[in-house]
Amino acid sequence: MRYRLRGIALHVVLVFALVLFMFPFAWTLIMASNSTADIYRFPPKFTFGDQFDDNVRHVLENVAFFQSMTNTAVVAISTTALVLFFDSLAAFTFAKFRFPGRNALFVILLATMLLPAQLAAVPQFQTMALLGWVGSLKALIVPAAANAFGIFWMRQYFQNSIHDELVEAATLDGCGFLRTYWHVALPSARPALAFLGIFTFVASWNDYMWPLIVLTNPDHLTLQVALSQLNRSHGVDYSMVMTGALMAMVPLIIVFAVFARQFIKGATEGAIRG
Amino acid sequence: MTGTAIAPAPSAEPLTGRSSGQRSGRRVWSYWRFYLALSPFYVLFAVFGLYPMLSTIVLAFQRWDGLSPRRFTGLDNFRFLFEDPTFWLSLQNTVVLFFMSTIPTLCIALVLAVMLQSAVRFTGVYRIAYFIPNVTSLVAMAIFFSAVFSTNFGLINAGLRSLGIPEQDWLGQPWGIKIAVSTMIVWQWVGYNTLIYLAGLQSIPKDQYEAAKVDGAGPVRTFFSITLPQMRSIVLFTVIISTIGGLQTFTEPQVMVGNSGGTGQSGMTVVLYFYRAAFLDNDYGYAAAIALSIFMLVLLFTAINWRIFRVRGDAK
Amino acid sequence: MELSRRSLLAGGFALVGGTMVGCSSGMDTSAPAKTNVATTLVLWCWPGGLGKSVLDETITHFPDPTIKYSEIGGDFKQKLITTFNGGTGIPDITGIKGEDIASMLPQANRFVDLKTVGADAILGDYLEWKVKQATTLDGKVLGIPIDIGPTALYYREDVFTKGGLPGDPAKVAAELSTWDDFIAAGVELRKANPKAPIVSDATDFYDIIIGQNPTRYIDKDNKFIGDQDHIRKAWDICVKMMTSKVDGKTPGGSPDWNAGLDQGTVPALVGAAWVALDVKAACKTSVGKWRLAPTPSGPANFGGSFLTITKNAADPAKAFEVIKYMLNADNQAKAFADAQIFPATPAAYDKPQLKAADPFFGGQVPIEVFGPAAKNIPVAYEAPADSAVAQPFKDELKSVQSGAKASDAAWSSAVSKAKAIAKRQGVQ
Repeated sequence: MRYRLRGIALHVVLVFALVLFMFPFAWTLIMASNSTADIYRFPPKFTFGDQFDDNVRHVLENVAFFQSMTNTAVVAISTTALVLFFDSLAAFTFAKFRFPGRNALFVILLATMLLPAQLAAVPQFQTMALLGWVGSLKALIVPAAANAFGIFWMRQYFQNSIHDELVEAATLDGCGFLRTYWHVALPSARPALAFLGIFTFVASWNDYMWPLIVLTNPDHLTLQVALSQLNRSHGVDYSMVMTGALMAMVPLIIVFAVFARQFIKGATEGAIRG
Repeated sequence: MTGTAIAPAPSAEPLTGRSSGQRSGRRVWSYWRFYLALSPFYVLFAVFGLYPMLSTIVLAFQRWDGLSPRRFTGLDNFRFLFEDPTFWLSLQNTVVLFFMSTIPTLCIALVLAVMLQSAVRFTGVYRIAYFIPNVTSLVAMAIFFSAVFSTNFGLINAGLRSLGIPEQDWLGQPWGIKIAVSTMIVWQWVGYNTLIYLAGLQSIPKDQYEAAKVDGAGPVRTFFSITLPQMRSIVLFTVIISTIGGLQTFTEPQVMVGNSGGTGQSGMTVVLYFYRAAFLDNDYGYAAAIALSIFMLVLLFTAINWRIFRVRGDAK
Repeated sequence: MELSRRSLLAGGFALVGGTMVGCSSGMDTSAPAKTNVATTLVLWCWPGGLGKSVLDETITHFPDPTIKYSEIGGDFKQKLITTFNGGTGIPDITGIKGEDIASMLPQANRFVDLKTVGADAILGDYLEWKVKQATTLDGKVLGIPIDIGPTALYYREDVFTKGGLPGDPAKVAAELSTWDDFIAAGVELRKANPKAPIVSDATDFYDIIIGQNPTRYIDKDNKFIGDQDHIRKAWDICVKMMTSKVDGKTPGGSPDWNAGLDQGTVPALVGAAWVALDVKAACKTSVGKWRLAPTPSGPANFGGSFLTITKNAADPAKAFEVIKYMLNADNQAKAFADAQIFPATPAAYDKPQLKAADPFFGGQVPIEVFGPAAKNIPVAYEAPADSAVAQPFKDELKSVQSGAKASDAAWSSAVSKAKAIAKRQGVQ
């Protein structure tokens, strides 16, 4: 009995947190189905309106939604794939092998994380101009293909979750470095990869400042940049902006829902093995 | 294997021992696979990170409006920086906001993660729900949070009124701005950290809990004697990430109180001040000097974090 | 290598220090890069900057070379400066916002002096003070005005009459002709209706009152004059709004402001012609209850932008043809009908699109208020550093508003901060 009470109390707290977290999202949904004037009504409106179709239509009229969504998907998927490969490979090397200069390289890696990214927009743009990549999606994918954060995070995971004996055994079996990485390291790192993948994907999907600067061609915009065109200087139609924001979120939630499962499965497997 | 997150694992044996007898020149060469494996990051950083950084450092000693030729001015920018009250205020705001947002975020996240792990049902639903704030568009959130904290028609003041407490001018008072901004940060990042902690919790061997149960330890004691020590490296990781993110707080105050930082410039953070110097005042040299100071600040805080967790690790 | 805090610091510094060696300022690209190819004419503006029907019509009117229009969301000026620096992808024609034009004047070498492509013939069609904003001290004209932002007093007729104030625009104009009258009326209104402060936010009024002057913070001889009477007077008017308790402390654009417009708790505001778009977007039940009257103590300008031609334009003469067409009086009138983009050409004020009565304002004809205002805006010299120097005044005024500082203390702190910034920017 005491056990059950505790279980109920647990869920009460968890549900309370859930409501708090979901509330602004729900509010976005409500606003996307109402008109702009309803957003600022008092008392606030907490029911769904009938304007959703209109708002969606306005978004589609004002921005090339599906075209920019395709661009964003190309950028986010390729960035994520590259990051997962490069970061995990580097992390595995840092975590399980010793070689000259390892610590120095790792300190440099950490130091690079400390520099705020938005500080260097002007010189970064000049680099892109030199390479002739201004306006192309390459300018978004290539610089993001490997990052210090991911290497740091994956290294941590490899250090704690893969036993050295396992790596040694693989080496004794005649596995080369790459095969050890592929057959030993990667399979056991699935939860960590799912995490890194999701966060990379989300960050890439929502990236705004840099794409805004580097993408000049109106036919090659990402979703967030295209949606920024809904924010007119005056008389902003907020319900349309909300609808656009909501439409841009849907793929992210789907991706997360799919991979969260993968992550849970991976995590459970890891726990059993440990 | 209880080394801290950053220190190399002492037990990680060199697997390339076969080359140990050779001379150093050939030895370094024999590690080529590892260097190749690490190269993508360093090559990309050299091309896309180093040059902007160089440029920032050089700029800090120049005057540049973004378009005219640059002029060397020696230490002028730094001299002005040290005498600039707004800069010092922005440093103070950044640190205060950092503590006001990071500590609640990490504490709530840890508690939720532990609860989530002991919950049997609906964990998938919770996970997705907790993650939602991280994918929600910032534009929508800015509108939402400024509506929640607004004076006349805001939800919080409506709540206070119904409780008979006088309403507050949240976004018109320095402390109110700090509360509103940190609330938004906490809301956005609790879910993220909860998921990271959850991943850490999953990797703690179950037999340790069984053993504690046999010893008759309650949930609280189990938490402090098993969970927390095992989670140390994960906690350090989240602290470092939150430090790096928290000291660069920018978008939240900007969308809530604007580029001026609001009343008493209470929402003026260092990165917002940088943004204002660079892109509103076109004072790129000064902005670069501010950027270097941000770099130093993050470096300092990371070192402090690390020290704290290292000392604990040694004491154990 | 033992990893410790010291080695992290050392590593960090080594990284920073090491990179300093051998670095030169290789990015000075002060000279304009190569010109664009002549196959397309690239035009940049921000969302809502140009009238949609005018834009579409201009694009069909000039089939060769094709006009390629890019709508740039976000921080427009930042994107423009970054692109200029990169040297590629620079547009042929670009919009520049009114608040940014002063800081772009020192960059005259990146833009075509429109006088060299025949601007003299059309400059007389535009309001003199507006053209002057885009004219350098040595007489180069960098931009043709897209629009202007003459201010007016927007007010709720229903709230005013209920509170014992005049409701008819002509009477409001007569009785609320100065800031003192306006504040006195606010005190009246507060007695009858404490929930309707006549000033939405006193700090929002500051820039408008400054804009009623022919001088700003820095004069033509590059001298700091921000500590003089004209600034202090504007400051004092704002402080008086606060001390007379007619200040609602509801910043323009905030949720409270948007809600208050419709609910009657923001019964009045002073804003540019384009503010009508914001007010209309926020109001559902108060349609027809709004009116317009002249700004107390005279009109000011708030916003209003330009089209410029960059030095990278493949064919500046052709680009100028496009601008000239797009911004002629007929098209300016159309742009007003499109999105309340207020014409900078007085000839447009007689066009039917502007003569129309507006049911939102109870059938009032807005041009009857905005037209005379547009013509009477004082010609002012705006220095590139003006906006940076203005910031401390606004920041400190907010401290007075929140009660944290007394007016005099805040004023002297604002002046000393502004002086320091001015000195940095090379002002005497």
